[in-house]
Amino acid sequence: MAYALEGIKVLDFAWVGVGPITTKYLADNGAEVIRVESAAKLDVLRIGPPWKDAQPGINRSQFYASYNTSKKGITLNLGNPKARELVRRLVPWADIVVESFTPKAMRGWELDYEHLREIKPDLIMLSTCLQGQTGPNALYPGFGQLMAALSGFYHISGYGDGSVCPPYGAYTDFIAPRFSAAALLAALDYRRRTGKGQYIDMAQYEAALNNLAPALIDYFATGRVLGPKGNASERYAPHGAYRCEDEEGNEQWIALAVANDAEWRAMLEVLGAPVPDSRFATHLGRLENREALDAFVSRSVRGRRVMDLVAKLQAAGVASYRVQNCVDLHQDENLEAFDFWHWLEHKEMGPSPYEGLQHRLGRTPGELRSAAPILGQHNQEVLGGMLGLSATEIEQLQKENVIF
Amino acid sequence: MASELLKGFRMLDLADEKGAMCGKMFADLGAEVIKVEPVGGCTTRRIPPFLEDIPGEDRSLYFLAYHAGKRSVTANLESSDGRALVAQLAKHADFLVESFPLGYLDSIGLGYDELSRINQRLIYASITPFGDKGPAKNYKAADIVTWASGGMMYLMGEEGRPPLQMSLPQAGMHAGAEAAVASLIAHYPRQTSGLGQKIVVDMQACIVWTLMNEQAMPIFHGDFLRRSGVFVGSADARRKMVFRCADGHISILIMGGAVGAPSTIALVKWMDEKGFASDWMKAKDWMSWVPGLLMAMTQKDREEIDELEDRVEKFFLTMTKHEIYREALKRRILLAPVATVADIAADEQLEAREFFVKVDHRDTLGRELTFPGAFARFSATPISPPERAPRLGEHNREVYCGLLGLDLERLSRLSAEGAI
Repeated sequence: MAYALEGIKVLDFAWVGVGPITTKYLADNGAEVIRVESAAKLDVLRIGPPWKDAQPGINRSQFYASYNTSKKGITLNLGNPKARELVRRLVPWADIVVESFTPKAMRGWELDYEHLREIKPDLIMLSTCLQGQTGPNALYPGFGQLMAALSGFYHISGYGDGSVCPPYGAYTDFIAPRFSAAALLAALDYRRRTGKGQYIDMAQYEAALNNLAPALIDYFATGRVLGPKGNASERYAPHGAYRCEDEEGNEQWIALAVANDAEWRAMLEVLGAPVPDSRFATHLGRLENREALDAFVSRSVRGRRVMDLVAKLQAAGVASYRVQNCVDLHQDENLEAFDFWHWLEHKEMGPSPYEGLQHRLGRTPGELRSAAPILGQHNQEVLGGMLGLSATEIEQLQKENVIF
Repeated sequence: MASELLKGFRMLDLADEKGAMCGKMFADLGAEVIKVEPVGGCTTRRIPPFLEDIPGEDRSLYFLAYHAGKRSVTANLESSDGRALVAQLAKHADFLVESFPLGYLDSIGLGYDELSRINQRLIYASITPFGDKGPAKNYKAADIVTWASGGMMYLMGEEGRPPLQMSLPQAGMHAGAEAAVASLIAHYPRQTSGLGQKIVVDMQACIVWTLMNEQAMPIFHGDFLRRSGVFVGSADARRKMVFRCADGHISILIMGGAVGAPSTIALVKWMDEKGFASDWMKAKDWMSWVPGLLMAMTQKDREEIDELEDRVEKFFLTMTKHEIYREALKRRILLAPVATVADIAADEQLEAREFFVKVDHRDTLGRELTFPGAFARFSATPISPPERAPRLGEHNREVYCGLLGLDLERLSRLSAEGAI
């Protein structure tokens, strides 16, 4: 069976996180994605760790590699007019163009939607940047870490004592791509029905705020500001992470959530703990005395082996699992059973650990079709094969830092 | 008017908070989304907090947010008539999304195998906390449990204190959005082949994916990351990324090198204007300053970073986060306020782009509510503000009579029997 998106062609100018992760959805499902990069302005992920053997190099970053599977890579220095001319010759081939520069870049090169649609009238083009193509802060540069702070996720992360404990990494970079991939796929279907392409302006800020909707609606309605509240829940008690017995010198924690009396009784039975306190006799009582409750649960699980406890609690119907570190993840039997981890052969890095897809299609499954390209790996194939440049022309353009 | 993007396509939404986002995105994109609820209402109607803290089945802020734009029908899956209705709906549907415990819908005759026999076009997405094959496939998971199993929780919080969640559950958002993408991937070949398919979404994997490739660090660099509050990086090279200011916090990662130097130079210049920069900071070659990146930090690096971070915080404490952010935008310094929802509601950028939209709830709640707007701007087929979330069973008559052709007498009998 063919891949789901076989035949779709994507010209991908995006860099760093959101754009490449968006086009990765398409590439892993069979679309032909050509990433246009340049040594003149390297994708910063190419120079970020983790690096193969902890040695830096533009073709040694797993950070870059993870988000660029199944793609071809060419190098064109867009600052040079000859490179832009080559881009214009590639555009008729593409169904979709994606870019993630700050908004003025593509306009400055005359490679924005208004120019490209003249070459390809039914083109679908997506621009994604932090704050959108318009508005006073459209040109704000930055990374997803900052966007996660700006879009409210840092503020709701902490113990409720004034501390801020951010989510790891560029959190919104992992919200926005699902929205932008859905946007492109919906636009493709619309084009098939109507013959019409279009332009999509995707602000990572705005997409991410969809994950904060209840708190925003609440604020506008009542003025209440959601703050950090540790692991407290208004639905579950106990609800949190509790330390179990250390294993091989590492802390082990269990996360659990108890929804009702039946689960509470089941938990007590597993813990072998006598009903500790009349305050905990009802679910509401447990919700209202969570500090004391947390202390009780902490005492009760402290000497237990975490996965043994998880197995017993789950058998009794209590939602729980180990708080997993990155080594645990690689040893996790469920991720393995889902075929999540893949070792792909990279041209320079050799076998490298890639994360697989987070979904599985039953009839037309996608997969990591190839490791990420090294810089300019497909110059010959694309510029020679597709555009018909001769070896001499390619060599000349390389000398002129056009193919660069 | 709803977006034309997915006009004419219909989704049955049988997902709870593990997947409500999927149907929400489809509704935004213009599909008709029918939320199928038990007679007592979807559990998401009872997720606190409630609007104005008044409980009620139409007042959960979660429900209002993530079921906006959908229709609601009731069907009792424990009754054979209720199940028959859902099977009939599936015959008329293009998509279905569900998040029941693994195998539950199969056990009552509404699994993919059965429904695809009625409607081979159906795309059927199942959202599962731990996938459908591993030893934990039947495990239960609240949002915090998936945050833990997927590795994000381990990295949030302070050393010596428990790992943390976010105060607004997130795992279900990622999983629902993933189901939407996967369903649309499957949609593409279906429109020519006529064949739908089964999709399984693994929530745990969805969270692993948010870890920004940290998973590969132990393999290539030998150690795994531990939570460290406002710091980032391994213990011997940690850098502060959140600083106090007069009325809250600012996030900034002070970096050198090609990526960070222009911003750091601008910051030092600004600090110097206000008397907060020391001489070495002004003289520093920030382009070549990448301590801890290529080799371990030296004692001198550590001392410089400690002083730098200390001075930056003292500097920020003289201003509010809004003052700092405005000036940073002008000076092109890479930082951001640790914004609250109040800050976001007042943000000039979102206002200029008219991001927030009013959604009319006058008939159910006696008021309008303000929602975050479209997740993307489409030039030809814009996403419009959603209709308010439906009342329980609000569209029973429209859907069961209009779509399935039941007469009112039959509808009454089904209701009396408890099937709807």
